Amino acid sequence: MIEKLKKIVKPYVQDQAAFEALTEETDFIKDLKINSANLVDVVLDVEDEFDITIDDSSMEKMLTVKAALEIVNEKLAQK
Amino acid sequence: MIGNDIVDLQVAKKESNWQRRGFLEKLFTGEEQELITSSNDPFQMVWLLWTMKESAWKAQQQKEKKRLYAPKKYRCSLFNKSRGQVLTDSEVYFTTSEVNAYAIHTLATTAPDIRTNFQYFEVQGSSCDSISTEVRSALLMAMASEMEVPADSLELRKDKDQIPQLYLNKELLNTAVSVSHHGDLAAFCFQEKD
Repeated sequence: MIEKLKKIVKPYVQDQAAFEALTEETDFIKDLKINSANLVDVVLDVEDEFDITIDDSSMEKMLTVKAALEIVNEKLAQK
Repeated sequence: MIGNDIVDLQVAKKESNWQRRGFLEKLFTGEEQELITSSNDPFQMVWLLWTMKESAWKAQQQKEKKRLYAPKKYRCSLFNKSRGQVLTDSEVYFTTSEVNAYAIHTLATTAPDIRTNFQYFEVQGSSCDSISTEVRSALLMAMASEMEVPADSLELRKDKDQIPQLYLNKELLNTAVSVSHHGDLAAFCFQEKD
């Protein structure tokens, strides 16, 4: 799952070194330097890839790899 | 508290597709979507409202440490093309925007009449790091001349939450600072804390 997520965020990453070193603790904005206006694209791409809907209260938390994985797992479990 | 945000419109055109399904719905309230769709320049309206949200968010981050990606909780309204306000559950931010064919730069403050010093300029560097160095040194020069101290006595450090803090001769100053860069453009603003 983390590999799928890496593929999704890759086009928006502005710090390649941080991307190479990506772990669950990686922060999309602080570490990968993803523009906050592009974070919504990550959210939309994740919705498309996993065929889930990410509501506003889940999107609020989607600032790290770990949070993103938790949200995807939670939404997949609800399907 | 202050925050600012700059959008390089050429870059925004390339990097984001505001017409993508779900984009507006996830970022903007119903009223804001109305402002966008009824505007004669929806693209410009998208980024004007976005810089308002982002600058208010940055101002809020100077005292509130909890980070959330909740753009719809920053509800924007416009008094005219350059003045507006952003409401959150606990705060009102007043915004001033400069809009031209190339860029939108917005400044958000917690009071409407606070005097702030802000400017934006084209950067020469190409990597994230070199641009960030350039913006910082421009900011320090501007502040040094405002405060009438030598530029090398000032220093900008980020605290553990990545909020920029200004030091004079190694001592933390009571000045709020915000920097922003996007594409070829960079901007900063600063103000005595309230």
